[in-house]
Amino acid sequence: MGLNMRVYIKSHYFILSGLVFTGIPLLIWTLDDMAARSLLKDALSILTLLAFCQMAGQFFWARTNRGAVDNLKMSSVVKYHKIIGYTCGGLLLLHPVLLVVPRFFEAGITPLAAFTTVVTTVTSQGVVLGIIAWSLLLVLVLTALVRRTLPITYRTWRGLHGMAAIGFILISTWHVIDLGRHANIAFSVFIAILAVGGVLLLGRHYNIEAIKNNGEA
Amino acid sequence: MTIERIEGCIGCGTCVKTCPTDVIRQDPRTGKAFIKYPADCQICHLCRMYCPVDAITISPEKSIPVVVSWG
Amino acid sequence: MGTLQKQKDMSRRNFMALAGGAAGLAAMAAMGLPTGPKAYSANIPDIDIDSLTFVENKTDVLVVGSGMAGLLAAVKAHDAGAKVLMVSKGGLGTSGQTPFARGIFAYDPAAEKLSLDKFVAAVSRSALGTNNPVFTRQMARHSTARVRELKAWGFFDSPLYRDAFSKPIAERNITIMERIMLTHLIKENGRIAGAAGFSLDEAKVHFFTSKSVILCTGAGGFKPNGFPICDLTHDGTIMAYRIGAKVTGKEWNDGHPGQGENAAACFEGWHGVFARKPGITGVGVRHDLGVGLNYRAYMTGNPVVMSPPGKGGSNQVKGGPYVPDEFKRHGPPRGEQGPEKGPGPPECGPPGKGGAPPGMAGTLAGGSSAGMSIHKSEGLVPINDRCASTIPGLYAAGDALGSHLAGGIYTQIGSSLSGSAVQGAIAGEAASGYCRSVKKIEMSKAEKNRVKQEILAPLKREAGYSSAWVTQTLQGIMIPNFVLYIKKESLLKAALAYVEELRDHHVPMLRAADLHELRLSHETANMIVNAEMKLKASLMRKESRGSHFRLDYPDMDTQNWNAWINIYQGKDGRMKLEKQAFDSWPA
Repeated sequence: MGLNMRVYIKSHYFILSGLVFTGIPLLIWTLDDMAARSLLKDALSILTLLAFCQMAGQFFWARTNRGAVDNLKMSSVVKYHKIIGYTCGGLLLLHPVLLVVPRFFEAGITPLAAFTTVVTTVTSQGVVLGIIAWSLLLVLVLTALVRRTLPITYRTWRGLHGMAAIGFILISTWHVIDLGRHANIAFSVFIAILAVGGVLLLGRHYNIEAIKNNGEA
Repeated sequence: MTIERIEGCIGCGTCVKTCPTDVIRQDPRTGKAFIKYPADCQICHLCRMYCPVDAITISPEKSIPVVVSWG
Repeated sequence: MGTLQKQKDMSRRNFMALAGGAAGLAAMAAMGLPTGPKAYSANIPDIDIDSLTFVENKTDVLVVGSGMAGLLAAVKAHDAGAKVLMVSKGGLGTSGQTPFARGIFAYDPAAEKLSLDKFVAAVSRSALGTNNPVFTRQMARHSTARVRELKAWGFFDSPLYRDAFSKPIAERNITIMERIMLTHLIKENGRIAGAAGFSLDEAKVHFFTSKSVILCTGAGGFKPNGFPICDLTHDGTIMAYRIGAKVTGKEWNDGHPGQGENAAACFEGWHGVFARKPGITGVGVRHDLGVGLNYRAYMTGNPVVMSPPGKGGSNQVKGGPYVPDEFKRHGPPRGEQGPEKGPGPPECGPPGKGGAPPGMAGTLAGGSSAGMSIHKSEGLVPINDRCASTIPGLYAAGDALGSHLAGGIYTQIGSSLSGSAVQGAIAGEAASGYCRSVKKIEMSKAEKNRVKQEILAPLKREAGYSSAWVTQTLQGIMIPNFVLYIKKESLLKAALAYVEELRDHHVPMLRAADLHELRLSHETANMIVNAEMKLKASLMRKESRGSHFRLDYPDMDTQNWNAWINIYQGKDGRMKLEKQAFDSWPA
């Protein structure tokens, strides 16, 4: 792994992706005219925001994007995909909870009351989208964790994983654009491009595979 | 500008109910809270403390001239 | 009464002679003009008046207001067997002064060294006789029981009271209608028959037929900047006055200073008190927040160097409000508040506000509190210790009742909040009992139609004054120039002339384009009546005592003025004033 990782880190694509999935969001964040908030709140926001962008980046770091992973071993691509998926996915699964954590440290409603209010506001489109996205993410992460024990072929699982990923990224992007505190126009356009781009990339990959399969048949 | 901005509103309506001076209303289309009557804000921060997602930012300046007893 | 009539005539005759003072006031009145809202303009309605609907509601006891007094009134009226409906201009535990009160007084006879008799006597000495000892004693006697209930509901667990208040209301299934502003009480055959108002959210006018009404509407001020009472405009008091109830305590005046910088910022001005959980306070009788500091500012100018409260600011300036020797000190030592008192208010806090008031720390400068009521001193005249008003079926509790439990000065920290709880409970039980004696109540069609017209009038006007502008003009008359702090006949009369002008010429021309503005226009009209009351009572009381200070009558006059001033509307619609001896109930 060590060697592969080093190769990966040296690749242009890694530098480029670092710029795109971490640099751009941070740049937009810095340039945005935002209300001053506490360090904890800002830290949680940045963490969530970057986690989300890395999740979008997953579409670009797989074999869907051949140029990016050409000089890498498939095993290390998968490994990297898993590390990002579990950490960033896990973080986003905690997002509804992290959202109310600052309430522990300030006067106001309790974190539990805040959480309850948030998840019961089902009249809000953004909240409903968030809940759906969260559920899809949970499915993504759980089925990845227990893939080997599932009574389905790898190919079927991969199809499901891809479909769930497409659902997740589209719905969560919509959720962010609708509700996100930091979703200004620049950020909204940015993540919309990421999401749509990622989905197209995956779609193209599936298409090629389908053609290949048809050709073989 | 009293209540300055509302960012990341989820449209739960708590701030509308808890504002003593009826400053905030929800946009009928999006459901999101907005500052409809800023001149009536008494800068008490109740809305901010009740907001489940900490969406409300308040500044200490009043948006209209302030009448005081002696200065 | 007669005296007052004469005064009024005089004020008219001498109007020109007062031109000097009036010109100054005019300049102040114009303060709202340059950058403020448009004064007079066309009314372009934002709502469809024709789509307005009328809703009928029925109950035994109608509780108006959802603060501490309203909560206890609703709970106890329900527990005593009445059908209860609570209506609030704001929200449960989130409007009026209650959400910002952090200290609640509990008199525990087992823990306190001071006997109940001695406590009441000490309050009376500090209040210079202006308190009603019946209510002082009642507050102390019942306070511990109320505090115990509040504890069980979770009141002390959060700086926000909505959840704790919701608990007993939900447990009892008591209906609560929030964001409905009541503008009218309705009387039929000499007794209360209900109330009427409108929703802030929907184009609906509500009628409430009820056997009894408990006003838990708080008191108010002139929307003072820097104090979280800008939703309190004496609505309950003025509604009751208009149907003939007697009102008291209008000459008293809260002497809070304000912040120099960002004078309107309540949250900052109270230095984090709003973010604290409430706490319990024990006995510590004092003489706080009269107009001593204002006297010093008046004599020496600003900035005033803050001296400990209770000193009355007289250490360097001659004259000024009288503070009894016994209370010329820096509040009670911490130990006196007893053990286990929680995060209660610091020493400088006024009762019921639990914490350092604006200006007590940091840069001290101009206050804007002029006209802000002293807790429990302004409101309906009680006819007995059951919180009944002069109108059968109409009760009041908390700041809406002129119980004078602490008199015209602040005497005991936290007694205001516990007083609201205690009186709310007593009024609730009393109103419930009263309901059993009432068979049927009906509102006449004619009365309903009249009320309807009055409620909606500002919406229907094609043009008019904006409420915001009239309110700013009113503030410009009542707040600066020490009109209500350092009172003198000429200035009081000049201000009165302006207020009467607002009453006669501006109130009938207030416009409202939507329901929020409709609320503002009724609030403005109520504040103007209140201003007239405050000025007239201040003119009538020709002595100085507690928070009422007359530069032209600086001494206490126990010969003539061991009396409260009651205000009521005469048959001719004009405001009448009368004395009521301190140790008596109304005839």
